[in-house]
Amino acid sequence: MSTISRGMRNAFRNGLRTLSITVILAMSIAMALIMLMAMKTVEMKIESVKSSVGNTITVTPAGVRGFEGGGELLGSDDLATIQKTDNVSEVTAIVSERLNSDDTNLESPIEPGSFGERQNNRGYNGGGVPPESSSGDRKFTMPVTVTGIDNLENLSALNMSKLEITAGEKFLSGSEDKIALVGKDLAQKNNLNVGSIFSAFNQEIKVLGLFDAGNTFANAQLIMPILCVQEISGQKNMYNSFIVQVDSVENLDKVGDSISSALEDKADVVSSAQSTESIIKPLENIKSISVYSLIGSVVAGSVIILLTMVMIVRERRREIGVLKAIGSSNYGIVSQFISEALCLTLISSVAGIILGALLSNPVLKVLVNNASADGASGVPGATPGRGMMRMVNAIPGIQNTFRDISAVLDWSIVLYGLVVALLIAIIGSMLPAYFIAKVRPAEVMRSE
Amino acid sequence: MIRVKNISKKFENGGAEVWAVNNVSFGLESGIFCAIIGKSGSGKSTLLAMLGALDKPSQGTIDVDGKDVTLMSEAKLIDYRRNRIGFVFQNYNLVPNLSALENVMLPLEFAGINKNDRKSRAKKLLLQVGISEDKHNRKPLHLSGGEQQRVSIARALANSPKFILADEPTGNLDSNTGRTIVDLLKRLAKSENTTIIAVTHDQTIADQAEVVLQMKDGKLSMK
Repeated sequence: MSTISRGMRNAFRNGLRTLSITVILAMSIAMALIMLMAMKTVEMKIESVKSSVGNTITVTPAGVRGFEGGGELLGSDDLATIQKTDNVSEVTAIVSERLNSDDTNLESPIEPGSFGERQNNRGYNGGGVPPESSSGDRKFTMPVTVTGIDNLENLSALNMSKLEITAGEKFLSGSEDKIALVGKDLAQKNNLNVGSIFSAFNQEIKVLGLFDAGNTFANAQLIMPILCVQEISGQKNMYNSFIVQVDSVENLDKVGDSISSALEDKADVVSSAQSTESIIKPLENIKSISVYSLIGSVVAGSVIILLTMVMIVRERRREIGVLKAIGSSNYGIVSQFISEALCLTLISSVAGIILGALLSNPVLKVLVNNASADGASGVPGATPGRGMMRMVNAIPGIQNTFRDISAVLDWSIVLYGLVVALLIAIIGSMLPAYFIAKVRPAEVMRSE
Repeated sequence: MIRVKNISKKFENGGAEVWAVNNVSFGLESGIFCAIIGKSGSGKSTLLAMLGALDKPSQGTIDVDGKDVTLMSEAKLIDYRRNRIGFVFQNYNLVPNLSALENVMLPLEFAGINKNDRKSRAKKLLLQVGISEDKHNRKPLHLSGGEQQRVSIARALANSPKFILADEPTGNLDSNTGRTIVDLLKRLAKSENTTIIAVTHDQTIADQAEVVLQMKDGKLSMK
């Protein structure tokens, strides 16, 4: 029988004690594993949020958000200033307009409903100029939104998750033609096809293509060349927003600061880093909780095994004396006790890993619920405003950040778990090893 | 042979110095059965612990075959305890979760003997001390006191030591079993040419010893 197997046999010398230690240690290891899984899952989520938000900065006129607020739109000189800023790789300019029944012969496919009516009554829907109904009652219809843009590939600028051309074709960048891409619901409502003509601001506009953006709001819109929108709406050289692409995420803050200081108080600058920050803050909170809990679990596990081993060593002082008296070295006895601690820890690890795998998702859900509740109530800047929400909602899947979070158990985590367990066993055996070395062989001569 | 010269052992007790062994000297030839008698607290077990290198004397020398045990390094002391000394204790001190055979195999394992050799040697020793083969795999708790002491003697003999140091070997046994154990020790002293030093306050053991030393208040005298 070797030192190792003797240590393993000793682990089962007292069945009840072995069971108690295993259960407590397994819970501690399960906790460590759950926190490790939570940490890794949250890290993955943070990475995915960061990569989906991307390295963009949104520049809007000061005091203006979409069709709300007031102030002056941005101009061509502002666009040129941004384009000249270091580390800016691309700028997508946008002009937005709302066409009400006085401006167009198109009718929005979106029914006002109670929300639209309320917004209209409060003057939020583009002035709310209702057409006169046949009965003489004034009936309100939703305005049609037009987005003027040059770069149809920039989906986040278009506030869309996809842009699928279902008929016709896209317009070219730099086009000044009076042409439009029509959302499929808007086209259906107004019987428009490729080549159809409709009016906007008393100009005839030709339908170049139809598109499906995958959501009701976007499918009720028009997308037109920016120069065309600027001309027909009388907003030459004016812009509602710029989506600025920065060469790397690391430069986001620097470029944001440069644009802010160059445009002074003319513009509001929101970088995706800020949006990301507010989205990932609750995730960072979960990560911090996980790290502290992980450290706590490892310390608790180490203390459990440490106290157990100290108790066992104290109990077996005489036996240690016997082993020394019959020729064992300190090294041999310490190895025997370490293998006993390792055996207890390994059994607990297996139980802990099973327990951890079963409990990881419920625990992560509790953490997520608490963290997202905290994020929504009181952490400054954690609750995104309307403008920020617009950007957040534009990012595919972000709104599900918290909903679809679930723990991931892979082999690397199990391996980490075993390493943690090994660490616990080694830390827990260090002090007992010192005690073993201090036991004098003459202990064996004690009569009790 | 063993030569003990002026050894003393001092303990601190509540700030006061207590000399458990005080300036003891004696010598013994190989193969001798020696009894050290004395009352409880006379210092005989402390003397035995120093002879077995379980404890260091405060002063004096213990010369075994020309080597001073008191000057040995820790590694040499482990080697000395493993190969030159065999211990027999009053309460046997067998490892409770190991079988009789495994207990006897332990010192052989520490000496680096391979598994097959130590198993056959342990079996032979158990049979030599009168433990039949059907009891070799029994745990100590399933053996009688006399049988446990026999296993303990077999363990002490495992590495063919020059000395067997026995601390009250019959203290927990009835008189008949005690007598058998003493006979066994005497027989082994002759057959194995092993010096046996038994600490006891049992006069019947002392009567069978070739040399009897008496301890009183830490001092030794020849009887």
